[in-house]
Amino acid sequence: MAFFLETLLGGLMAGMLYSLVALGFVLIYKASGVFNFAQGAMVLFAALAMARFSEWIPLWTGIANPVLTTFMAFVVAAVIMFVVAWLIERLALRHLVNQEGTTLLMATLGISYFLDGIGQAIFGSDIYKIDIGMPKEPILILEQMFEGGILINKEDLYAALIAAVLVTMLSVFFQRTATGRALRAVADDHQAAQSIGIALNRIWVIVWSVAGVVALVAGMIWGSKLGVQFSLTTVALRALPVVILGGLTSVPGAIIGGLIIGVGEKLSEVFLGPYVGGGIEIWFAYVLALLFLLVRPQGLFGEKIIDRV
Amino acid sequence: MRKQIGEVILDVNNISLSFGGVKALTDISFNVREHEVRAIIGPNGAGKSSMLNCINGVYTPQHGSITFRGQTFDHMDSHQVAVMGIGRTFQNLALFKGMSVIDNIMTGRNLRIKSNILMQALRIGPAQREEEKHREFVEHIIDFLEIQAYRKTPVGQLPYGLQKRVDLGRALAMEPQVLLLDEPMAGMNVEEKQDMCRFVLDVNEEFGTTVVLIEHDMGVVMDISDRVVVLDYGKKIGDGTPDEVRNNPDVISAYLGTSH
Repeated sequence: MAFFLETLLGGLMAGMLYSLVALGFVLIYKASGVFNFAQGAMVLFAALAMARFSEWIPLWTGIANPVLTTFMAFVVAAVIMFVVAWLIERLALRHLVNQEGTTLLMATLGISYFLDGIGQAIFGSDIYKIDIGMPKEPILILEQMFEGGILINKEDLYAALIAAVLVTMLSVFFQRTATGRALRAVADDHQAAQSIGIALNRIWVIVWSVAGVVALVAGMIWGSKLGVQFSLTTVALRALPVVILGGLTSVPGAIIGGLIIGVGEKLSEVFLGPYVGGGIEIWFAYVLALLFLLVRPQGLFGEKIIDRV
Repeated sequence: MRKQIGEVILDVNNISLSFGGVKALTDISFNVREHEVRAIIGPNGAGKSSMLNCINGVYTPQHGSITFRGQTFDHMDSHQVAVMGIGRTFQNLALFKGMSVIDNIMTGRNLRIKSNILMQALRIGPAQREEEKHREFVEHIIDFLEIQAYRKTPVGQLPYGLQKRVDLGRALAMEPQVLLLDEPMAGMNVEEKQDMCRFVLDVNEEFGTTVVLIEHDMGVVMDISDRVVVLDYGKKIGDGTPDEVRNNPDVISAYLGTSH
């Protein structure tokens, strides 16, 4: 029982991180009807910016306090993501208003390659580290209830908490504010949104900035676990099954989809793995997504518009 | 008492629009006076919607200009048009289908919401009060359009006639000076048409909103319009009061065909 709970909690925490990346997809899809292929590239770009600036800021300013420099690096990276969002709107999206979804999808594919390239050109292509001072040692809980207690990785716990806070803030923003309403309006119909005076350009800069910050937080957490390197872009691929499961248009869907995938991966690995020789973790999510596509293509909570992807 | 029709508020001068070799509009001029109901009629493909889309800034005409409240534009900008106080509805419903009736109409208040994103997100005092104030206004519109029962329903689930009302409600939420209606009665049965006519006339009379209305059903238009423009194959073939237009031989032949 204790071992099962341990695996379950581990899965939930990993799932929270998937949710965070998935949320980046959902945000942009909801607000512009575009499946943003560049989400992975944005994660890498943001993480690279943060990793390098946390190296550079102490060198340039002489500030030695690591907490302060890490915070400054985060702010600088966030500003950079805002500039990226503004440029994407200015140079690409503005010229594609009222175009087919496929056209916009191809544009994000281009943006993805561009960001990959220019990110590594500016910030370098080695493996960098982000140290946000997360404790690495595991802790034991519920020792009275189970013999030996349940082992929890503190780093995962904090990461999951950060993700949970961000996810909550974004849901409230989307559902409860006038700007959130405008974002949803733009997603449904560009032309109608314009006719009531919603400025598409402004909305797109906002939503890409928010997606940029989400990418930054995801990049920061994954980067501090795995190191900042090109393979971070594949983190986005891990989130793909999550959005298929949860539905591309649903913020709660992204959260629950992430948790299901996280838990499913860990449980199947531990309990089914021995029978098939292990490695389930790697393909479990995709198979689950495939089944969902056959049975319920709009996902658990999505509206039936997934066919536009 | 009949409303007072005022000065010219919207003036369309020599508009020509073509898509490649197809001439959608040729040298169209007409004006709209404040507080009137102005109809644009014509058979299918006459260029009525194109005309509206030029005024609304969706299309950019190759020639001509549009004057709104003394300001002249070569072409209109969709966003700017909304800011200046011109609202519109769509021929093929363009509602936000996943959102509730209230949320759809609330989006129409977008331009009037002044608090910034941060305040909205944190729900700080002024933002909260502002939201409530707009919500109250939207409730009035919902009462006016008699769709109280559906306020929380996602718009995509409503029957067509009610969706048309929501579309009108969203445009009304902008408190526009000029309302452009693109075939508000298309596809409706007689009863629904009568309801819609009543709403349009009420808006016009109670709020003094100037209405520019497209319709191809002559009967409806003649009853509620002050003046009518008739288009056929992108050209203007008639302009005047319903009676003048009804007796215009060009209009009769466009609608009924001529004997050869």
